[in-house]
Parts: sequence; C-alpha cells; structure tokens
Amino acid sequence: MNALSEALAKKRVLVCVGSGGVGKTTISATLALRSAVDGRSSLVCTIDPAKRLANSLGLHALGNVEAEVPPSALEPLGVKPRGRLHAMMLDMKQTWDDLILKYAPPDKREKILSNRFYQSLSSALAGSQEYIAMEKLWELRTKRNYELIVLDTPPTAHALDFLEAPNRVLDFLDNEAAKWLLTPALAAGKIGLSLFSLGSSYVAKTISKFTGTETLQELAGFMMAIAPMNESFRERARGVRELLEAESTGFVLVTSPGRERLDEVTHFHRLLKQNRMEVVAVVVNRVHPMPAQALWEEAKGLIPARRAKVEETLRELTVLAEQDARGIAEIQAACDGTPLIQVPRFELDVHDIGALWRTARYLIGDEALPSPAALPAAEARR
Amino acid sequence: MVGLLDKRLWIVSGKGGVGKSTIAAALALRSARAGRRTLVCEINTQERVSRLLGHQPVGPQVTKLEDNLWAVDVRPQEAMREYALMVLRFETLYKTVFENKVVRYFLRFIPSLQELVLLGKILFHAQEKRPDGQPLWDSIVMDAPATGHAITFLRVPQVLLQTLPPGPMTREAMKMRDILEDPATTAAVLVSLPEEMPVNETLELHAALRDQVRVRTHAAVLNAAFPERFTEDDLEALVDHPELLRVARAHHDRAAQTVLAEVKLERNLHVPVYQVPRIFTPGFGREAIEQVMGHLEPLVTGKAGT
Repeated sequence: MNALSEALAKKRVLVCVGSGGVGKTTISATLALRSAVDGRSSLVCTIDPAKRLANSLGLHALGNVEAEVPPSALEPLGVKPRGRLHAMMLDMKQTWDDLILKYAPPDKREKILSNRFYQSLSSALAGSQEYIAMEKLWELRTKRNYELIVLDTPPTAHALDFLEAPNRVLDFLDNEAAKWLLTPALAAGKIGLSLFSLGSSYVAKTISKFTGTETLQELAGFMMAIAPMNESFRERARGVRELLEAESTGFVLVTSPGRERLDEVTHFHRLLKQNRMEVVAVVVNRVHPMPAQALWEEAKGLIPARRAKVEETLRELTVLAEQDARGIAEIQAACDGTPLIQVPRFELDVHDIGALWRTARYLIGDEALPSPAALPAAEARR
Repeated sequence: MVGLLDKRLWIVSGKGGVGKSTIAAALALRSARAGRRTLVCEINTQERVSRLLGHQPVGPQVTKLEDNLWAVDVRPQEAMREYALMVLRFETLYKTVFENKVVRYFLRFIPSLQELVLLGKILFHAQEKRPDGQPLWDSIVMDAPATGHAITFLRVPQVLLQTLPPGPMTREAMKMRDILEDPATTAAVLVSLPEEMPVNETLELHAALRDQVRVRTHAAVLNAAFPERFTEDDLEALVDHPELLRVARAHHDRAAQTVLAEVKLERNLHVPVYQVPRIFTPGFGREAIEQVMGHLEPLVTGKAGT
C-alpha cells in the first residue's frame, strides 16, 4: 500500500494537475477505475476530448452529464467491480450557461446570455476554463454522492494559471471596481446616456482612449445585468477554495521524467503547498526502464546483422533510461517529502482498459520500477 | 517548394508534450545560421527555448543570445505597459492611471485583453522597421501555447472584432488579424508525435487554425519518429528469445505507427510532413538542438533532401 492507494481509499476528491501531454487524462481515468473496482462509487471528470478513452470505458462519447461505465466494459480485466464508475467531459460553454440559467434573475437571463462580454467570457476568455472546472467540481461534490471524484484539470501553460484563474474570473465579476468607475452612469440609471456627458472622471476618460467609449458603456450594461449574481459567485468561489483545502481533498501532480518539466513540477509543487493544498503524490509517467543486463548477454548469440540491430535498440533504451533516471532524481530532490510514483512507458499508447489496469498496478504500488538509487549498481554491472 | 525562409512569422504549436519548444529552438537556430536576424518569442512560460539553446533565461526584454539570434519571454504585465504607453504616449499618465490597483482590476474585465497585449507585442515586433524601412526581424519564431490555448490566443483578434464596438482596440485587432491571415508572411508549423492522440489533436488544431484564425498550416513535424529497423524475418528469428523479441517488437510497432502517423497527417493536412527521429544525447541541450536542426533542413529551405 502506498500514498496513492491510501488516497484512493480515503479521499473524496482527487485533483490531477500538471502540464499538457504528460498523461493526466489517462492517470485520472485510471485512478477512478481502480477506486470503483475496489468498491467506492467513483466519477472521473476529464477535460480533453479523449474519444478513444471514452470508447475503452464502453461509452460512445463523453458529455457534460455523467454517464455510467457499464460493468461489461471491465470484463476483460477479469475482475468484478464492487463500486460504480461514471465518467464525463466538462463542456465549458454549457456549464457557464447552466450557471446563468440557474442563478440569474429571470428578467436578466436573456440579457446576460446574449451579451458579448458574457459570450467571450464563457467561451474564449483564457482562465475561464480553469474557473469552470473548479465550479463543476464544487457542484458535483456538494450535490452528488460519489465517494470519489477525480478531476482532470486543463493543461496550463503557466503553473500560476491553475490557481489564479478562479480569482481572475471573479475579479471580472467583482462589482466594486466597475462601480467606482461607472458610478455616474449607475446613478443616472441610464446606460444609454453617454458616460462622459456626466462630467466623467479623468480616469474614465483615459481608459476610454484605451478601450473605446462604447466598450465602457456595454461593459456597464453587462455589469448591471450580472450584479445580482456576484454574491452567489463569490459564495461558490469560497466553497471551491474550502474544498481544495479540505482534508478529504488531495492533489496528484502528474509529470513526465524529462528535465524540461522540472521547473514546472517544482513550481506546481511549491504553489500547492503555499496554498495549503495537500499533494498526495507526484506521478512520473512514461518512464523508460533500464534494459536488463541479461538481454545484452542473450543478444550475443544472434547472427551479426540481427545482433547489431538488437544492441542498437538496447543502447537507445539505456540512454533514455539514464536520462529519465536523472530527471526523476531531480524531481525527487525538488519535491522532497512528497511520495513519488513511477509509471513505465508502455510499448504502445495507453488507451484500452487493459492498459489502464496495468497503469493502476504501478500507481498503487502493486508493481514498481527500480528507484534511481538502484541505477549505480545497474551501471556497474554493465 | 516554399521553405520557411520565405516567411517572416513562424508559429510553432501542437499538443502539450510533443516537443514544440525543441522544434521552435531548432528552427530559430537554423534561421540565425542562415544569416537572418531572428527573434524567438516565448509566451508567459517557464522559458524553455533559451535554455534549450544553452543560454540563460532572457526575461521580458528582447535579449541577444548569439549572432543573429535574439529571444524574449512575452509576459502580460510588461506587455500591457508597453501597449498602454503606445496608445497613451505619456508615461506619467500610464503610471497615474494604469498602475492604479482598481484600474488594473478593471482592465481584467475586458475580454481577452491579456491575450491581446501578448499577441500584440509579438505582432508589434513583426512590424518593426530598420531605419532603411526594411523589417527589423527577418524571422520571428513564436513558441505558441499548446493546442487549446493556442486557438484562444491566436483567435483573440477575431474575438475582439466580434465582441467590441469599433474603437482603438478593434483597430489594433484588425492589424493583428491581417498579419496572421497573410500567407506571404505567416506560416504555422504543427508538431506532433507518432501516437494516435497527438496526431488527432494535430488535425483538430489544423482545422481550428484554418477555420477560426485563417492561419495557413505550412508543414507538420513528426517528432520522436522511429525508423524502420526490424523486419518480419527478424521477429520470427527471435521467437526463441522472448525478452529480446519483446524489445524488437516494441520498436517495430512504433516504427509502423510512425508510418501510419505520417500517412494520416499527409492525407488530412495536404502539407509536407517532416520527421525528426528520437535524439540520444546524454542530456537534452544544445547538442540535441543542433541534431534536430539538421533534420529540419528541408522544412526551412524548401529544398528536397533527406
């Protein structure tokens, strides 16, 4: 039993974070799968439209509503799941619209939904994806009875984006700054009236050079329409923050062993700690294992041309394994105190249910790669 | 065949983790070696390109790395300041107004303003001129964000033109859109791996660039490609050596997957696909970039080779 298997047994929420292309979606699905087989009702929320992954789980496609993975999809594993497994893919626009329909006053809904600022906010504003992922997590956690929710987060170009995004979007919705700037229009109660024929302020005049007058007017209209929702958004944001800091929530930091990922891992790790969020484990995915010494001996018995091919391949695998070992040692040093779990690079892409299951064995410690400390001995033997 | 040297703005993008920054670094180095004044732009990142080339991180100011090669890490706050100063022209006014905490909050209301100033700074460099009127930069290599963010990022001129009423920002957005849509100036290089999901995502990115941004895909780079090595005869002969067979079959399968990936990309993108094989250097630094650069020669020059 390792840190991750303990988390799978006890946590209510696991959030998988990391940069793009390291296998977060696969790891998220694997964690939920393993938890369900072990008897906890589980849900995995993914971000990427991993259609092949959906098919592997016996679903035609993933949408913004949870879909149950049929038990028949798990038959190839030879196990009978003792808990139910659900999966869904977050649809950012739909989730935003659902929020508006649910919480906006009826007379303001259409005005908000058709406002150009809202349309940009819900579909194109960078950071709103991260925000809505947190919103959805909070809703699922408070309104459903899953024993475990695994959230796959959007890949972030910058580690700060992930935790700052909710604040950024809330700033967008915060009325205080807009009120300060737009008070003349608000007081007049007429948005159509030019902001600047009311003895507009020096600051508003300056900003209008930057953004244009009509932009300010339309923004004022949007702010007035959405104002009744601000407290509701703020309350939800507080709920999200509390959820992320809760003892029953854990973060799984997913990375690959390349040294180019080291800064990102370090950054994420420090950031999560600073925000009092528990990092359950760092998962290093797609690690190249060191080829066994016995393979070199066996290759000597081949005909020369074939032996040359095999030895070239073994040399390549050795170089890759050594690179990865150095990367892992650095990650270990950078994330001192947090358990580090390695998942090997499989022969082909991890898609089907069998590959997810093999991944799960490494994640929970049923199988393990030799730790970097074993490397010097292996090198000595070569 | 037209090479990248015939374009001035090279946008490198792809799924996260496929080696975009590596390809961007190699292309920038090759451009500099061709004697072109080359600027690499990273976007609010942990700065990989300058490191890959064996240099110290450069920060938000344009900094010279070596002959003909400069780099800049475009960051939101600095880009906002430069943009505001261009529009307002008076530094005192900028400090009084834009460094006000409340105003800073306010500016975050403007949809995609951050993306506008980031992209705006890069395209500002694309418009810089020397005293004789020639472009200051012969090549600008943009290490664009990964797929989803890349579309949001590159689409920002379109979003603003649809979102905002006419004004200073839309005039700026129009100029930016015109540069991005000009096939004589701008070329996108999409980076992928010979694996199913990266290939599919490359196709989706291509469609989004074409339909939403109207940026032309110039070529695809298939990174970490596996050359063919083991024949079917080899595999048969290794049947009595199960562990060696597993190693050989794994390589064989990935080589086959490389062929499939290349065919799929070529059929759907209708642009050249260039392979960059896996690099086996002790570390992944300057030496690796030089090797990658060698494999990208046909992409850069447009001359048939390899």
